[in-house]
Amino acid sequence: MSVAVNHIAPPEERREPTELGLDDKRGTAGMWLFMATEASLFIMLFFSYFYLVVNGTRKTVEEAPKLHFALPMLGILLVSSAVLHLGERHVKRGNYGRGRILLVMTILIGLFFLLLQYFEYREHLKTLSPLANVYGSVFYTITSFHAAHLILGLLILGYALILPRFEPAEWPPHRPYHNAALYWHFVDVVWIFIVAILYVAPNIWGI
Amino acid sequence: MSAAIDVAERLTHIWETPKTVRGWFSTVDHKEIGRRYLVTAMAFLIVGGIEALIIRLQLARADQRLITPEAYNQIFSMHGITMIFWYAAPILSGFANYLIPLMIGARDMAFPRLNAFTYWSFLLSGVFLYGSLLFLNAPHAGWFAYTPYTTAQYSPGYGMDFYALALIFLTISTTAGAINFIVTIFRLRAPGMAISRMPLFLYSTLTISFAIVMSLPALTVACVFLELERRWNMHFYDPALGGSPLLWQQLFWFFGHPWVYVVFLPATGMISMLVPVFSRRPIVGYPYVAIATVLTGLVGFGVWVHHMFATGMEHLSMSFFSAASMTISVFSAVQVFAWLATIWTGRPVITASMLFALGFLATFVIGGLNGIVTAVIPIDWQIHDTYFVVSHLHYVLIGANVFPVFAAFYYWLPKITGRMMNERLGKVSFWLMFIGFNVAFFPQHILGIIGMPRRVFTYPAGFGWEGMNMLGTIFAFVLAVGIGVSVWNFLVSARRGVIAGKNPWRADTLEWDTQSPPEPYGSVHIPTVKTRHPLWDDYDEEHDPNDERVLDRGRLTLATSWLDSEPRAVARMPKETITPLLLTLGLTLIFVALIFKLLWLALIGAVFSLIVNAVWLWPRRYREPA
Repeated sequence: MSVAVNHIAPPEERREPTELGLDDKRGTAGMWLFMATEASLFIMLFFSYFYLVVNGTRKTVEEAPKLHFALPMLGILLVSSAVLHLGERHVKRGNYGRGRILLVMTILIGLFFLLLQYFEYREHLKTLSPLANVYGSVFYTITSFHAAHLILGLLILGYALILPRFEPAEWPPHRPYHNAALYWHFVDVVWIFIVAILYVAPNIWGI
Repeated sequence: MSAAIDVAERLTHIWETPKTVRGWFSTVDHKEIGRRYLVTAMAFLIVGGIEALIIRLQLARADQRLITPEAYNQIFSMHGITMIFWYAAPILSGFANYLIPLMIGARDMAFPRLNAFTYWSFLLSGVFLYGSLLFLNAPHAGWFAYTPYTTAQYSPGYGMDFYALALIFLTISTTAGAINFIVTIFRLRAPGMAISRMPLFLYSTLTISFAIVMSLPALTVACVFLELERRWNMHFYDPALGGSPLLWQQLFWFFGHPWVYVVFLPATGMISMLVPVFSRRPIVGYPYVAIATVLTGLVGFGVWVHHMFATGMEHLSMSFFSAASMTISVFSAVQVFAWLATIWTGRPVITASMLFALGFLATFVIGGLNGIVTAVIPIDWQIHDTYFVVSHLHYVLIGANVFPVFAAFYYWLPKITGRMMNERLGKVSFWLMFIGFNVAFFPQHILGIIGMPRRVFTYPAGFGWEGMNMLGTIFAFVLAVGIGVSVWNFLVSARRGVIAGKNPWRADTLEWDTQSPPEPYGSVHIPTVKTRHPLWDDYDEEHDPNDERVLDRGRLTLATSWLDSEPRAVARMPKETITPLLLTLGLTLIFVALIFKLLWLALIGAVFSLIVNAVWLWPRRYREPA
C-alpha cells in the first residue's frame, strides 16, 4: 500500500464522512426490476392465451366466463390499492400508527378477495375443468398464477406490518412500506388485465 | 481505538470474510463469489466437453455402434444444455461479478447477499439437472426440447421433468443476478464515472441484464406449461384438445434468441476492454460501440421467428423477421470494424490474450457471415436441421464465447491470482484450439450442404460424409487438448507464476488500480473519475483531500446518481450470512418434491424458504464496528 494511506487520521479525528444520508433506494430499484420481470411473465401468459385461442380453442369455449364475481373483485382490489396508498402517505408524514391501521385494512380486503376467488372457482369448476381442454388449462393457470402472486403480496404486506421501527435517519420507515405497496399495486394492475382479457372480452367479442 | 491502527488494516478488518468453515458458506464477497462462478462454470465446460467428445467418437465412422441411440440422444442433449445454460452465461457472470465492482470503484455489488444466493442456486440447479443421471434418464430432446416429443406420451420417465424444473430453478438464479448487475451499475459507480465514461463491459452487461429480466419469463412459462401437461394432465401443446405444439417454439425462441446475445454480448464487451489495452490506444468509436451493443440487445427481441422459418408461416411475417435478423448483423459489424480500426491504428502487442482476441475476430466473422446466410429464407429451408446450422452455432458460441473467455482469462487472471500466466503455453494453447476448432467445424458447412442432418446418432456409409466426420473427431480432440493446456496453465501459474503487481498490462480501467489480488475492500479511497481511461489520463488515486471517501465506519460504499454519478448517499452493506445458502436449499427441496409430485414436501420447502427470507430481510440496528 502506498505511503499516503498511512497519513489518514483515524475516524474520530476526521470530519463526518460526508453530509450524505444512508442509501435506501437500491431496494426500490430492485423491486421495480422484479415487477418488470413479473410483468413479462404475465405478458407471456396472455400471449399464450391469445395464441391458443386464435389457433383453434375457439370451438372448445362453450360459454364466456360470468362477470358477477370478476367485476366486484376488481372493485375490491382497486379500493385496497387506494387504502394502501393513503396509508403510505400517512407513513411518509411520520404518522406510522395510522399507516399500520390502513395496512391491516388492505390485508383484510386482500383476504376478502381470496375468499371471493374461492367462490368464483367453486362455481366455475362446475362448468369448466382445468383438465378438460386447452381453454380450461390456460384459464385456470393464469388466474391461479395471479392468486399465487396475490398471496405473496399479502405475505409481503404482513411482513411490512411487523417490521420494527428504528430512527428514521438510520432506516426510513416509509421505505419498506413503499416497496411492499409497489408490489401490491402491481398485483392489482395484473387483475385489471385479467378481467379485461379473460372475462370481459369473451363476453363482448366472443373470444 | 488507537490512532496508530492503519486505515487499510481497519478496512480489511471490516471487509474480510473469516477464514472458517462458516465463513466459507456464508461469504457475500463479490470476489469470492466471482471466483466460484468461474471455477464452477469451467467445471461445467469440462463436463460438457467430455460429452462432446463422446458424441464425436460415436460420429467418427459410419454405422458406428459405440453407444445406443437413446444414450446418444441424452448425451447430445446434456452437452447442449450444459454448455448453453450452465457454462456460457455463468462464466460471464463470474467475470462480471469479480470485475464490475472493481471497475466502478465500489466495494461490493448492490445486493451482496442476493449475489451469494445467485451463485448457490446456479450451482445447485446444475447439480439438480445432473441428478437425472441417478435415474439413468437424462433429458433427451436437445437443449430446445420441442413438443410434442417432450410430452409424457413420447418422453416417459423423469428426464424431461428434470429439464423443465432445473431450467425454472436456473431462471430464478439468472434473473436475480441480472437485477443485481443493473442496480449495481446504475447506483454504485464511482463519482464522476458518468454514463458516457463507463467501461464498455458495463454496457454489454447492462444490456444483457435487461434482456434477461424481460425474456427469461418466456422460458419459465414454457417450462411451467410443459410440467403441467406432463405431470398434472393439463393441456397446452396437445392439438387434439385445441393446443398447439408451436406454442412451445414461440415461447422458447422468444427467450432463446435474446439468450444468444446474453452469452455473446458480455464476451464482446470484454474484447472491447482488452483489445485497446493491447493496441496501446483508446478504442475507436466508443459511442458507436456502446450504442451498437444496446441496439443488438433491443433488436435481439425481434428475431426469434428466424428459428422457425421451416414451420410454415405467412410470408409477410417471415420477411419481417428475416429483415430484422439481417439488421442485427449491422450492429455486430460496427463492433468488428471498431476493433479492427483500433488494432490498425494502434501499436498491437501480441500476447496470448490478444491472440485469443484475434482468433475470436476471425471465427466470429465467419460465424456472422454464415448467420446471414441462414437468415435468408430459401437457403434456410435448404439447410435447416443440417450440419450447416451445427457449424454456424458452434462458430458463434465457441468463436464468440469460448475464445473471448480465454482471452479474458489471460488478461484478468493475473489480477485475480496475483501471478502472471505462462505466455508460451498460452500461445501453444491458442494455436491448438484455433486449428482444432476450425478444422473440426468448418467442414461441417459442407456436410450440411451435401445433406447430413443434425441430431442423428449415426449415418450410413456411401454419402461421402465419412472423411469430414473423422476429421471433425480428430480435431475436436485437438481443441480439447488446447483447452486442457490452458487449464493446466491457469492452475500452475496461479501458484508459480511471476508476481503480477498492480497493473501488469498498463491498462486503463479502475480494477487495475487495486492490488493483485485485490484487498477485501478494493481501494482505500472510493476513486474519483474524470475521463474514460482513468489510469491513462493523469489519475490521482488520492483525490480526496478531506478523506471523506475512505468510508471506514462500517461496511459502506458510495451510492451515486445513475446518469452523472454525483454522490447521493452512503450505502450500507450486509455482513456474512448463511441465509442465501439456506434459501437455495429450500428451493432445491421444492424442486425435488415437484419431480416426485410430493406436494406436501414442496409446501414444507416453500414455508422454509419464506421463513429464511423473513430472517434475511429482518433489519438490524446499525452499529459502528469496534
